[in-house]
Amino acid sequence: MVEEHTTATGLPIEEAVIEAKEAQRHQVKNDRWTRLLDHFRREWQIYAMLLPTIVWFVVFLYKPMYGLQIAFKDYSIFRGVANSPWVGFEHFETLFSNDQFLRAVSNTIKISALNLLFGFPAPIILALMFNEILNATYKRAAQTIVYLPHFISSVIIAGIVITAFSPTAGIVNTVIGWFGLDPVYFLTQPEWFRPIFVGTGIWQEAGFGSIVFLAAIAGVSPSLYESAVVDGANRWQMMWKITIPSILPTILIMLIIRIGNIMEVSFELIILLYQPATYETADVVNTWVYRQGLQSGQYDLAAAAGLFNAVVAFALVMTANSLSRRYSRTSLW
Amino acid sequence: MAGVSLNGIVKRYGAVQVVHGIDLEVAEKEFVVLVGPSGCGKSTTLRMIAGLEEISEGELAIDGRYMNRVAPKDRDLAMVFQNYALYPHLNVADNMAFGLRIRKMPRDQIKTTIAETAQILGLTNYLERRPSDLSGGQRQRVAMGRAIVRHPKVFLFDEPLSNLDAKLRTQMRAEIKRLHNRLGVTSVYVTHDQVEAMTLADRIVVMNDGRIEQVGTPMELFNNPANTFVAGFLGSPPMNQMKGKLTENGAQIGSSEIKLNGVTAQQAGRDVIIGIRPEHVTLAPGEGTSPLPIALDLVEPLGSEALLHARFGDDNLVFKADTQGDIGHLTGVGEVHIPALLVKIFDADTGRALSVGA
Amino acid sequence: MMNWNLYSRGDKFFAIVVSILIGMFTAATLYPFIYIAAVSFSSGFAATAGKVVLTPIDATLEAYKYILAEPMFWLSYRNTFIYTIGGTLMSLAFIIPGAYALSRPQLKGRRFFNLFIAFTMWFNAGLIPFFLNMRDLGLLDSMFGIIIAFAVNAFNIILLRNFFEAIPQSFEEAARMDGANDFQVLWKVYVPLSKPAIATITLFCIVSRWNGFFWAMVLLKSEEKIPLQVFLRHTIANLSDTDEFALNVLDAAYSAETVTAAIIVCSIIPVLIVYPFIQKYFEKGILLGGVKE
Repeated sequence: MVEEHTTATGLPIEEAVIEAKEAQRHQVKNDRWTRLLDHFRREWQIYAMLLPTIVWFVVFLYKPMYGLQIAFKDYSIFRGVANSPWVGFEHFETLFSNDQFLRAVSNTIKISALNLLFGFPAPIILALMFNEILNATYKRAAQTIVYLPHFISSVIIAGIVITAFSPTAGIVNTVIGWFGLDPVYFLTQPEWFRPIFVGTGIWQEAGFGSIVFLAAIAGVSPSLYESAVVDGANRWQMMWKITIPSILPTILIMLIIRIGNIMEVSFELIILLYQPATYETADVVNTWVYRQGLQSGQYDLAAAAGLFNAVVAFALVMTANSLSRRYSRTSLW
Repeated sequence: MAGVSLNGIVKRYGAVQVVHGIDLEVAEKEFVVLVGPSGCGKSTTLRMIAGLEEISEGELAIDGRYMNRVAPKDRDLAMVFQNYALYPHLNVADNMAFGLRIRKMPRDQIKTTIAETAQILGLTNYLERRPSDLSGGQRQRVAMGRAIVRHPKVFLFDEPLSNLDAKLRTQMRAEIKRLHNRLGVTSVYVTHDQVEAMTLADRIVVMNDGRIEQVGTPMELFNNPANTFVAGFLGSPPMNQMKGKLTENGAQIGSSEIKLNGVTAQQAGRDVIIGIRPEHVTLAPGEGTSPLPIALDLVEPLGSEALLHARFGDDNLVFKADTQGDIGHLTGVGEVHIPALLVKIFDADTGRALSVGA
Repeated sequence: MMNWNLYSRGDKFFAIVVSILIGMFTAATLYPFIYIAAVSFSSGFAATAGKVVLTPIDATLEAYKYILAEPMFWLSYRNTFIYTIGGTLMSLAFIIPGAYALSRPQLKGRRFFNLFIAFTMWFNAGLIPFFLNMRDLGLLDSMFGIIIAFAVNAFNIILLRNFFEAIPQSFEEAARMDGANDFQVLWKVYVPLSKPAIATITLFCIVSRWNGFFWAMVLLKSEEKIPLQVFLRHTIANLSDTDEFALNVLDAAYSAETVTAAIIVCSIIPVLIVYPFIQKYFEKGILLGGVKE
């Protein structure tokens, strides 16, 4: 084809070669174009399927990220996000000299730490115990019950807690009364908030959280236990020498996820349970943001606090994932 | 019904080229088998014909129509997959009807078509069953049924028998052959099993490394392999290959010399590979044979015949011999006899077959 | 492996201890529900005096009569059904096609789109920008706003995408050879093959809609639009804040506690009804969306 072209135009050989190369390049480019067009002509339907989801993410999750700039602005409702004047890091300076905000950061970390200390082992212990139950019906029934609280709304959970811990009517004080002790106003006392909150979390989530570990235990090869039986090990030894080491990777991954989520405290439940008297121990970043922003209308300052929270959380999640990748060769996503 | 024509078909994944220009004409009603080791590009080629992979370069025509840019559903082909891809949520009848419903065939017509096809395939009693309730062979039949009901221009088979056990495979192989004889639809069949290729094909296409090594009828390929790859791929056990040197009227292999037909003095000294099929050697000298001393390793009785595993220098060789009901007489074999007429000679560097005397 | 007859004496003792501990934990999980139910059927006086432990004291239906006579209860119940059904259908309408598209190897920019969606799991703008965005969109105090704004989340899409990816590609190819377009492949092949995963997601959507509280409280201003959870919250807050109410009804048949308990029972019942049907799915589902190797 190249030779024909050269003869037809009668160009000197060098120029003809250059032109031929150009033509070839053009053709390749053209080819890629037609192929891309073909691709969209053939596969447009999957793009059509994806489009609504992408639009949704842009409108409801990415557009607010654009709105985050008010953390650096003197935001006013009338001017809007784009036209409010920049103020640099003013809001952050305010935040870090605000005792309430600093208290909220510290409370967030303390509550998370308690959750980690008591809430993290609970489902593992539960799973290990379920694994020792021989009677399938009993096991099934117990599982059905302990998974249930996960599906109950935080409003109801709070309602139950408020009722049960009520100073006069609640069962907790009734029981305390049996021992001749005076009733305690649990929900108004700062020192009781965290134990109640963490305990409620364990009650609600330990059962459901055990599913992941039970699945990991189910994945352990039965031949390991069989050879242990032959070696004369008892169930207790098998649990420590086989089950726990086998599910250690899962434990590690779940632990890393928990650490990555330290800034995420279930603030819905806190909003439902706390009151000014317990802010001292109960107020976390998100509840503070909620009060400052949505209740008092200080949108820019609250957004700055939210941004701080989100950035710390993002950094934690990223660190957690790279740790998980390094130690277990398993990425979380 | 129609032929398939591939012209310089190339497949690239990014910078990696896996199929390097395939030229092939499949005639109408022909049964062509693409065979080769795994990774040779045979499945990719089939999938490009199907339209499941884009063609990077070259032209594909079906029934004389340029097909590169046509979507698979508009190519009017039917394909039988290795894992059958039967829809587990549909029963046998609905599996077969799936394509017809999508193409909006009238209800009563679907019914008769499926009844006819089920009749042909012996599935009439299984139409209400789910795929999970069927045996491997029945699933295989349903997969074929789903292809047949559509009356496509071309059938494509992607290793359809490789999930079956050996006995069932032999049986289904014969069924596919019968079906093709009955329906006469152009078929392209991919397999790594040379026995399937030999038994099913009108023509075999041997592929290796993204290229066609040789195209021909089974017997052509068996009798005249174009190179050492084809020689080593077809036949079971495959052709024995030994390094040697041409002499004035034969070839020197190690310390032995065998006679060859039509060797000329000019070629003497050329490095070659000598190929001899296991079934072509004899234990007793005959006309035009040369003896080859061997060290017998192992005798494997197969029933009416036995495989003799032997060493000659550094080469491991395999020969076939009749047992005549006993292998006692085979254990002491110390030499075999090679008929000059049946020996193949290949160039030692390129592996290409040399027509001796040319 | 586990055979009671082959257990040593020590093993049997261990198994019995574990069974008892599990029994105790299970009982502890169950007890608050029983306690609340008992309170709801007790008289206001008995409840307020803290006499209820396990069974109703001075059994009465007064608390139920009180809330069932409350029109807001019925209205909010109806609203919750609207949010749950509408929201779940909306979610599925986005998630199923979106997850399918993301699972297709032929989708150009697939890595980018997956990252685009997964990124929102690790970073989100927070309460305030989300709220202001809803206001800018004119979706404050809008039932449609509640339904659309929480229709999609990255976790559910990734869960379903992982499931779709695990379906052998040959099903799609076979359907394509049979003449199906992408919509038909999805609807006639992939959706029926993904029933467990779709059931799981439906379950997650239903539960989170049924329980959704915070944003409904923040975004909805009109009383006639609030869902049950918000009504429940208002009632609990009002009842316990109003000393008057507590005092006045001291000798009455119902009290703040019994009414609260009765509302809790009423709003848990639908969850309890659905729970057995969904249980077989969520154990599998939770693992599907989890760690991807």
